[in-house]
Amino acid sequence: MNAFSLYRRMAAASIKAQLRYPGTFALQLIGNFVTTLLSFFGIWSLFQRFGSIAGWDIGAVAVLYGLVNVSFAIAETLGRGFEVFGGEYVKTGSFDRLLLRPRSTLVLLLGHELRLRPIGRFLQGAFVMGAGFWLSPHVSWATVWLLPWAVTGGAAMFLGVLIGQAALCFVTVEGLEVVNVLTYGGVEAGQYPLTMFARWLRRFLTWALPLSAVCYYPALAMLNHPDPLGMPLWFGLLSPGMGFAFLGLMVLCWQRGVAGYVSSGS
Amino acid sequence: MTIKPYVTSFVLQWKIGLRYRLAVLAGLVAQMWFGAISLMAYAAVYHHAPGVDAPMTLRQAMTYTWIQQSLFTLLPLGCLPAIGEAAKSGAIVYDLLRPVDLWNWWLSASLARLLGNAIPRAVLLAAVAGPLAALVGLNGWSLAPPASLWAAILALCSFILGAFISASIVMWWNIVTARTLSPLGTYAVGTPLAVLLSGMLLPLPLYPDWARELLLFQPFAGISDIPIRLYMGMAIPGGVLTALGIQCFWLAALTLVGRFWMHRTISRMEVQGA
Repeated sequence: MNAFSLYRRMAAASIKAQLRYPGTFALQLIGNFVTTLLSFFGIWSLFQRFGSIAGWDIGAVAVLYGLVNVSFAIAETLGRGFEVFGGEYVKTGSFDRLLLRPRSTLVLLLGHELRLRPIGRFLQGAFVMGAGFWLSPHVSWATVWLLPWAVTGGAAMFLGVLIGQAALCFVTVEGLEVVNVLTYGGVEAGQYPLTMFARWLRRFLTWALPLSAVCYYPALAMLNHPDPLGMPLWFGLLSPGMGFAFLGLMVLCWQRGVAGYVSSGS
Repeated sequence: MTIKPYVTSFVLQWKIGLRYRLAVLAGLVAQMWFGAISLMAYAAVYHHAPGVDAPMTLRQAMTYTWIQQSLFTLLPLGCLPAIGEAAKSGAIVYDLLRPVDLWNWWLSASLARLLGNAIPRAVLLAAVAGPLAALVGLNGWSLAPPASLWAAILALCSFILGAFISASIVMWWNIVTARTLSPLGTYAVGTPLAVLLSGMLLPLPLYPDWARELLLFQPFAGISDIPIRLYMGMAIPGGVLTALGIQCFWLAALTLVGRFWMHRTISRMEVQGA
């Protein structure tokens, strides 16, 4: 059995397990949808009062908001195993058992759980993004291929953060909640136009954590909106690749972490 | 009736809250990050629309955001974890057998947990966002001092009422947990509700005009929104008396209805577990 069909089986088992409690599942899904929609209500209220967010219309902000939420929802669905890695694998020592299996630890951890709950965030983000495109006057034809490219780039970046977070657990044993600053905090930052932020934060969000490269710049290219800070539009066509580069870098960190792993188990 | 057992219950949870120093630091970093992002957003919005007559100034919005961020753990995000555990394992019968008033017993534990989590964080963040930010020259972004001595005294009373309101709402989550035997539901509902209605997501005065009075007259506004308005000396429709009146009303209503509901729940409860 190759890695892919193994993963498919683990994912199928995980989905079956989650659907075993349909009532709870439906409630969680609705809760997830409503929670994330409420956060857009906050942004919408700002528009109601001030007319624009620093000169950006609601269409553009809705597209940004949708992009970052859809990307994060995909990463959250796939990367649950990395999110709980510190507490459930390193601290308990059960990572030793994964190492005994003749498969890549990355595949085994991806198969930890295919989490269905983020579907709520995904649907809500897609819904807001659709409304954003509908409200924007100059949507470019490149959107057809740029949108999936940006979403996969974004999902890769957030998955990279989760893998990096897990790799950090080799040092800290317990998971560090500070990393939430990059995941949930990243979503929070990504839904606003980059130009609003101070220069140090703009640089951090482009070159250290390539959040704007998978969200802000592709959105500009899709909406035919020139960048007020002067970055040429073609940058947005290429920049989602930086999300994959970030993922690659984090996978390297992960492999170094696994190589130096010393069990803490019983 | 002696007060001693409730003090003991309070002190126990208070000590648990202070135990995790690293978590306090981690929380500080997260709160600074979320605070900074909101602040930059508000600054951009306000500077770009100077003609808009907003119900609060940019400076007030910033102070509001810092206090909200520092009091994040004071919000009733879900039930008391110890009660959630007890409901799942069946250990909740021990609480039912104690010769104490159950409402006061759980309330003192809930209050202690909220305060034990919130006070160290609030003091640290206030020090960083207030005097320290002013020292490094970020005066325009810092936490402003209270409007006057009178405002400070009023706000202190109001914050204390707010903590009790929050603990009473936690009591409601505790009762839901005792009924449903799982704490997950209260977190799923409680967290978004508290974050939106307390003004954590966006200051309550900045919501659209039709929603503002409704938002002022709901229990979550009493936790931090009303105290912060008093702290900054913002005008509240009806003045200081309405502000404190809303808080007292909700505290009384939550307690009376909550007690009644708790007795009904307990009297027909079936405990699981061995």
